Amino acid sequence: MYRKLLFMLLLTLISLPLASAALAGGGDGPPKDMLKGIITQVQPEAHSITFEKDGTKEIVTLILPAAMKAEDVRLNKKVLVSLDKHAGEGVIKDISIMFMDMTLTRIITLLVVGLIGGLLSGFIGSGGAFVLTPAMMSLGVPGAVAVASNMCHKFPKAMVGAYKRYKYGQADIKLGLVMAATAIIGVQIGIKMQKYILNHFGNAGSNLYVSFVFMVVLVLVGGYVLYDAYKLAKGKGEATVSKLALRLQAINLPPMMHFKVAKVTISAWVTIPVGLLTGMLAATIAVGGFIGVPGMIYVVGASAVVASATELIIAFVMGAWGSIQWGLSGLIDIRLTLLILAGSLIGVQLGALGTTYVKDYMIKIVMASTMLIVAVSRGAKVPGYLADLDLIPVLQSQTTAALEQISFWALVTALGSAALIITIAMTKGMLQAKHEREAQQLAHVVTNG
Amino acid sequence: MNVSNFDKNMSAVAFAEAGEFETARGMLHNETAQRGNASQPARGAAPLRKKKPYLPAIGFGLVSISLYVILFSNEQLVTNTFTMGGWYTVLPVGGAFLFSFIHGAFASNLLNVLGLEAKK
Repeated sequence: MYRKLLFMLLLTLISLPLASAALAGGGDGPPKDMLKGIITQVQPEAHSITFEKDGTKEIVTLILPAAMKAEDVRLNKKVLVSLDKHAGEGVIKDISIMFMDMTLTRIITLLVVGLIGGLLSGFIGSGGAFVLTPAMMSLGVPGAVAVASNMCHKFPKAMVGAYKRYKYGQADIKLGLVMAATAIIGVQIGIKMQKYILNHFGNAGSNLYVSFVFMVVLVLVGGYVLYDAYKLAKGKGEATVSKLALRLQAINLPPMMHFKVAKVTISAWVTIPVGLLTGMLAATIAVGGFIGVPGMIYVVGASAVVASATELIIAFVMGAWGSIQWGLSGLIDIRLTLLILAGSLIGVQLGALGTTYVKDYMIKIVMASTMLIVAVSRGAKVPGYLADLDLIPVLQSQTTAALEQISFWALVTALGSAALIITIAMTKGMLQAKHEREAQQLAHVVTNG
Repeated sequence: MNVSNFDKNMSAVAFAEAGEFETARGMLHNETAQRGNASQPARGAAPLRKKKPYLPAIGFGLVSISLYVILFSNEQLVTNTFTMGGWYTVLPVGGAFLFSFIHGAFASNLLNVLGLEAKK
């Protein structure tokens, strides 16, 4: 009965935007000043191209930017054309080929990144996305396609992870659905804010805002989680419910909600802001889990294991919603999605079973260290954006290149160190469990024999 | 005569060594059943080694690989149709679902075969 209800709810959640947006002819996620289609002809004299739009088959003539050579344009391949609205009507800013050629190195990279991203996701509930999108972009995938393909891989992965952790008795479905529903509203607010900033301060302003939010949230929240985990690790104590959560649970403001697995009874007025913030952050920095999981731990009062497992349910609902939005614009490269899934479906289950062997604070340690290293990655981008806004002198090209490198490698380090901590903690836990089992068996044989 | 668990286990081992696996398993199993609670292994009984799911792992693995091969040998057609937008969204989203069930089942069985299981 309960399962049936849940299934119906999910189905409605997924089908509603699909139907409404399919009828309206587009979602609101992907950028609007972007055309998708095929370049059928190039006119070198006029420095223009003939472009056939995807779907409608409408033919338009577009002007190439001065910096682009007519002979560099590739014909009859699906491309994404972004328009330069400031330069005039129909002027191209950039052309990127939608589907890159798959080489062996690229395939292996996607498999490995997928596997590690999945491991992290299964263990702390989120993660992977923050490194997968930049990794794909550095392989030559256009930004919008990278985001869309990543989104489409996120929800099946989260589904498998959530199922596993539900079986281990860690995921609170009710809490997850309540959080997801409010997070979807949060995403809409987040998008509105983004658009406002984009319109008033331009691209660089928007980037600076995103980086600023990213860094402040990650450093503050990540720092606190690390401090908390350090305290627990030092005291060898079991995690206790935070004082803030206890105080909030005492507020008897209807409607009160009871979450069985999380063992929490709390007013809906507390869970709603946490969900909204998760959604807003997801719309801003693409990793809502970085606020969702700490929110569920310190504000709602769930344990780290339950919070990280429940985050996977939120990720599933939001990922499915987002995938439909991006899919409607036809930006998902299914090859990328499925190659990442090949690795991440193994990783996510490994991460999920890993949580059964470690202490609660281990999840906090992995989460905090990932958040703090990712903050470095984003921080390295700030000088560039400041220069774009003329707030600091223009950077030298060497400095820019070095900062880009730092930013990318910090992401790789975040992923690598998280994978290392998880693997070590899991192996230790497994060996310990094995020794305990053997000792138990020996004791039985001795006492009974 | 009072036969201890240890003796029973030892005789089961003797049968197993002689190739009589079924008898050995039966002896161990009977004992568990006699205790009336099959879900909890009897104290002192040698644990029954769970059979590893080799067959499902190989089966799902083969189906998964075939799907990947089909996808990549029709790369052009698939990428073009899957990005048409509108109702065609069903294709990438449904495709991701399908792969996650099949490849997910493969991954789950693979981990079991490798002996990686959740702590009980």
